[in-house]
Amino acid sequence: MAGGMETGIVIVGVGGQGVLTLARWLGEAALSAGYDVRVAEVHGLSQRGGAVEVHVRFGNEVYAPVVDEGEADVVVALEALEALRGLRYLRQGGVLVVNRRIIQPPGAWYDIGQVLDALKKSGVRHYVVPCYEEALKLGSPVYENSVMLGFVSALLSLPAPPSLDEANKKAFQRGAALLQNPLSPDQ
Amino acid sequence: MKLLLLGNEAIAYGALSGGLAVATAYPGTPSTEVLETIEEFKDRYTHWAANEKTAFEIAYGAALAGARALVAMKHVGLNVAADPLHSAAYTGVEGGLLVVSADDPWMYSSQNEQDTRWYGVQAYVPVLEPSSPAEAYAYAKAGLELSERVKQPVLLRSVTRVSHVRAPVEVEPPAPPKWGNFVRDVKRFTLVPAHARERRRELVEKWEKMREWAEQYMTVEDGCDKAVVVTAGVAYTYVKEALKRLGTCATVVKLGMSVPLPRKISEVVKGEAIVVEEGDPVVETQLRALGVSTRGKLDGYFPRYGELTTGKVAAGIAKALGLPYSPPAVYKSPMAPPPRPPSLCPGCPHMATFYALKVATAGLNPVWSGDIGCYSLGLNTGQQDIITHMGSSVGLGHGVAVAAKRFVVATVGDSTFYHAVLPQLVDVAAKSVPMLIVVMDNAYTAMTGGQPSPSRFLPVEKITEAFGIPTFVVDPVYVKSSIETVKKAVEVVKSGRPAVVVSRRPCTLMAVRKARRSGVRLPRYFVDVDKCVSCGICYNVLKCSAISKASGGKAYIDPALCVGCGVCAEVCPVGAIKGEGDRAKWLEVWRQA
Repeated sequence: MAGGMETGIVIVGVGGQGVLTLARWLGEAALSAGYDVRVAEVHGLSQRGGAVEVHVRFGNEVYAPVVDEGEADVVVALEALEALRGLRYLRQGGVLVVNRRIIQPPGAWYDIGQVLDALKKSGVRHYVVPCYEEALKLGSPVYENSVMLGFVSALLSLPAPPSLDEANKKAFQRGAALLQNPLSPDQ
Repeated sequence: MKLLLLGNEAIAYGALSGGLAVATAYPGTPSTEVLETIEEFKDRYTHWAANEKTAFEIAYGAALAGARALVAMKHVGLNVAADPLHSAAYTGVEGGLLVVSADDPWMYSSQNEQDTRWYGVQAYVPVLEPSSPAEAYAYAKAGLELSERVKQPVLLRSVTRVSHVRAPVEVEPPAPPKWGNFVRDVKRFTLVPAHARERRRELVEKWEKMREWAEQYMTVEDGCDKAVVVTAGVAYTYVKEALKRLGTCATVVKLGMSVPLPRKISEVVKGEAIVVEEGDPVVETQLRALGVSTRGKLDGYFPRYGELTTGKVAAGIAKALGLPYSPPAVYKSPMAPPPRPPSLCPGCPHMATFYALKVATAGLNPVWSGDIGCYSLGLNTGQQDIITHMGSSVGLGHGVAVAAKRFVVATVGDSTFYHAVLPQLVDVAAKSVPMLIVVMDNAYTAMTGGQPSPSRFLPVEKITEAFGIPTFVVDPVYVKSSIETVKKAVEVVKSGRPAVVVSRRPCTLMAVRKARRSGVRLPRYFVDVDKCVSCGICYNVLKCSAISKASGGKAYIDPALCVGCGVCAEVCPVGAIKGEGDRAKWLEVWRQA
């Protein structure tokens, strides 16, 4: 998976979706797997309903907290339009993971199909994951980030983070199982 | 055990293990979690102060009395505390005084990009600059001890990529708090001219000694003699990655104390230094003053604005060494991502307040004098013409009102009101300036995550009424009655006097959290598309971020985002927005959040 000695992940989404929590979980999982890790968050104004990005780097020895453009092994998008914004971080041959969900930006209307078509045409390796639908099946959209966590952890062979509670663990397992779904890759 | 700590949490734990007794702060991104973490330790004195100056004074006083104290703020907060900072350098301290100031390069949450380290140069206060959360922990502890040993306040300069980075940190148990006992020393603690002149002489002598202390924080990594890179703080991490990326080596001199520079550095750097630092060329300027020639930000090897990245540092080092460097290839997005500016949260009471203000001031073409806080997002509805610093609303609004003779609406949050507006209100009352001051009281310092606000025990209207300013209180979720009340305040201003509107309703995020915990179901609102006439008032004027413009201009409410405030149903002119659930009960739970 890793392009170099370290693995770089950029997680993007919309403020309020649990982007920070997802990143912290990934960091905890990497630490529990014995890696050095950095999670670079954004707080305050940048969180208010705006586009949010958090960087996670782990490996044997990590210095810089931030992933450069063109350097991420994986870009994780909790929201499909934000996948377009986050794509610049992906290294050549890296993998984009996209939640099948649109949160409409102010004054515009996008259809999920139009975004996924564009991604398909771009030739970028990607997975489309129905985190939102799975979360609703589990009772609340709040689980969409833990479904995504399960999927990405399975992709990166990371364990579940130690701090997950029961409900989120269930969502994690659903997400991990989705990676096995043969319909997902490059959909 | 190693914990995955945020840099700010690491600073807190480091200070606690250094015997911290008194900790104060005013919240500000990226510094807030320092005090939030210390607050959990009930055997210490902690306080969210009214502003950074009062926060500084409490910690400074504690350190004068011999206690170990910390004060935390963001970089612009240090401007507010700059007056006592300079005095603290003159009197020195008896205990330890650690001043934590977190810079925000590229302004993720700030109005400017200023570099805290200049204050070290200006005020004669040494600056420690950690490169990572683990180092932030170590420097916070060492900084308190150093401060007490040399009797001088110490600045700890953090940046977003230290304060808001999580990394493994080895944490020791907190040490017992070291309290003080005040010992009289009039010649030192009373800065009247005769005493201050003595202190000034001492301070200048002490500064030279500080260069010796700085040596303890300098490390030299002998890579090879191809080049010498001098770096400090988070820039060090990019230097390490950049050298690896370039496949080259260098002697890396890392300065843990970046102000003042260790005198010894001119012996280490023979020839020329490549200087890599986050922020302004503070190290580079000092190096040149010591006669060292440099390649850094001053001559454009590295950019003078924005955050450093591994790529920017690699490009700069390559240029300085004459090496080839090409940045990694970047995918182009197959379609342009739409802009998604920060916006008020769905159900935010400020949204309803701005709506009422817009309607009640229609035709007056007001100048919207704004301020720092969530309500700065009134930008999205065109209701913020000025936002510059804490207190700009009333302070600059006063100037605009008297100079331009325009109808000024000054909008300010409750926490900012107590931080900066109280003295400005004295000025407004003294001259009876006709302007509408709107205090958007959501009971929290919301933008930074909901720290307590003084409005909880000191209602704004008690103060403004004591100033003799006509004051009106509204609950913004009741849109129609709010508009009527604001119109009364507008009439007062038109008659040539100031008026205050206090718009009171707690922060939605806090209320929703509370409702979830107590199992209260939020009502939901939806659009009857047959009734909707596509007027766009809900998504264009109110601009609730849960409402979008769907096909044919019809409104659509995202059920995952709606928090059931019901404001959209009040503003809809044709009754096309309907609610399900118990709004009255929810609004009551919310009111008490």
